Amino acid sequence: MADTANRLRISFFLGLRSLKRGNTGSMLMTIVIIGMVFTNMIFLPSIITGAIRNYEQQTIDYYSGNIIIEPKKDAAYIEDLGDLLARVNRAPGVLRAAPHYDLGGVMKFEGNRIPGSIIAVRPRDETMVTGISHTMTEGQYLGDADTGVIVIGKLVAGHKDESEDLIPSLGGVVTGDSIDVEFTNGVTRTYRVKGIFETKSFAVDPSVYITWDEMESISGHPVDEATSVLIKTVPGEDELDVKYSLVGMGIQEKIKTWRELLGKALGNAVESYGIINNISTIVSLIIAIVVIFIVMMIKTLNNRRQIGILKAIGIHRSIITMSYVIQVIILASAGIIFGLVVLFLLNGYFSVYPLVFPEGDIRPVFTIGDLGANAVMLFIASLIAGFIPAWQITREEILSAMRR
Amino acid sequence: MIEVTDLYRTYHMGSVRVPALRGITFTVNRGDFIGLMGPSGSGKSTLLHLLGVLDYPTKGKILIDGIDISALSDDERTDFRLNKMGYIFQEYALVPELSVMENVELTAMAQGKSDAECRKASMDVLDIVGLSHRLNHLPGELSGGEQQRVAIARSMVNRPLILFADEPCANLDTENSKVVLGKFHAINEELGQTIVMVSHEEWHKEYFHRIIYLKDGQIEREEQQE
Repeated sequence: MADTANRLRISFFLGLRSLKRGNTGSMLMTIVIIGMVFTNMIFLPSIITGAIRNYEQQTIDYYSGNIIIEPKKDAAYIEDLGDLLARVNRAPGVLRAAPHYDLGGVMKFEGNRIPGSIIAVRPRDETMVTGISHTMTEGQYLGDADTGVIVIGKLVAGHKDESEDLIPSLGGVVTGDSIDVEFTNGVTRTYRVKGIFETKSFAVDPSVYITWDEMESISGHPVDEATSVLIKTVPGEDELDVKYSLVGMGIQEKIKTWRELLGKALGNAVESYGIINNISTIVSLIIAIVVIFIVMMIKTLNNRRQIGILKAIGIHRSIITMSYVIQVIILASAGIIFGLVVLFLLNGYFSVYPLVFPEGDIRPVFTIGDLGANAVMLFIASLIAGFIPAWQITREEILSAMRR
Repeated sequence: MIEVTDLYRTYHMGSVRVPALRGITFTVNRGDFIGLMGPSGSGKSTLLHLLGVLDYPTKGKILIDGIDISALSDDERTDFRLNKMGYIFQEYALVPELSVMENVELTAMAQGKSDAECRKASMDVLDIVGLSHRLNHLPGELSGGEQQRVAIARSMVNRPLILFADEPCANLDTENSKVVLGKFHAINEELGQTIVMVSHEEWHKEYFHRIIYLKDGQIEREEQQE
């Protein structure tokens, strides 16, 4: 034990002095390379994590709320809506429930026809559950008493120049324009566009919204059913707990948290992103190993005579090898710290200027888990890359090494 | 102290065998100051490398302090070099990244001495070689003579049984050579240090107790000095 401690002491002694009095340029270059490799290992996954988080948040904020209730199996609608809403709104952990009634139809404007989803909502409930009302790019959101008006998604409104559209659109509708909607029950109405929203969610922006009253006037009678009920939970509440308490209240409809709703689809996407991440990480690690290996190989080759001298005066091979490993540990640590600084700066930059994608503005998300795991992997890779050349060179015969 | 019996060392250069030593036998007693002399290629350095446990004999036996060094493992040979002997190379062989003090301290540290013990032992030997005023200088900042004196200090810091010196004055001018040889003489006289030194300079003979002349890998003759 004492011998091991003494060997470590000498290894540190040699390693630290070699760094202190060695080639500063080469040392800084190695630190920068390790730092850049670490940044590369973290940055791509952070963008992918940011995209996933963005998608999840869009789902919660605009599509399903925290929890969504859907009709029972083989049923088209949720029946006894009033009773259901009363019970749900009383459930612990529920902030508000908002019903959706999905009507199919065809929208027409200046010769453009597109089929779409026309959703009836209760604006006061809706604004408490989804954030669509906060994404108006033009005009205003619906009011409870509104009739004869409609709010439409950006993708429905489209552009005059259809090449700018990602999907078929109405060809450049603006607030105040009138559009015709032909409902599947045969009713046709003309609506003034009250506002245009843009959530950047591909699931939401192709939709249009009318008020519940408007929908009832189309149906010709009060409607006590819905195609779905979106639930906003109290911040901090566990969505699964809220779901189980709703189930416990005897609600027979399908109740899903947003995570369950995304389910396999998101799981597959995350898995695919994971494969990309893994490939990127492996490539980065290989680059790190090769670079550190080359740097340490050059260093040890240049120090062959010195290694021979150390062995000749009675310094054990393991001590010499360890002194190089210690140098790599220090360089890798400094490189990782440098990488963390770069990532911190990138995080600051992208917080102000996020990456703009059609799916939304994406900010990198750095998780402690990713940082830790990648730091450990890079550390281990560095150790291996530093150990091998040192171990090889210290095996050379003393006299042969000293003749260099 | 040293018993060399029927020692052979043959190098292989491709398919060519080059016999460097051919049946060397001699002994060295405690307190001796031995000179190994002879023309270039006579096998002086090869013999010193074998005595200094830096190389392996092809055949024969070397006993140092009763230990058969050819029977030692690699780690045991390293420990042997550290604890039993000091070696001074022609080219000084100092670690360029370590200061004078650190070069000397290193071998003391390897023996497991505490920092304070290392410092004291190093100061003592650096005092002996007259370099206690250049402790923090790097080897590159010293003259050849000073570097060789650091090498002497380093070889002595662990109080070795034997000092081996391989043409330690080869790169020094006469004045510095005399300083270095004077140090060896003083160490030998005052501390009773056993020294085996390779040299090809005739005027070095006056420092040796005994001279072993080598020629073509064999002992040509031995000469006892007055």
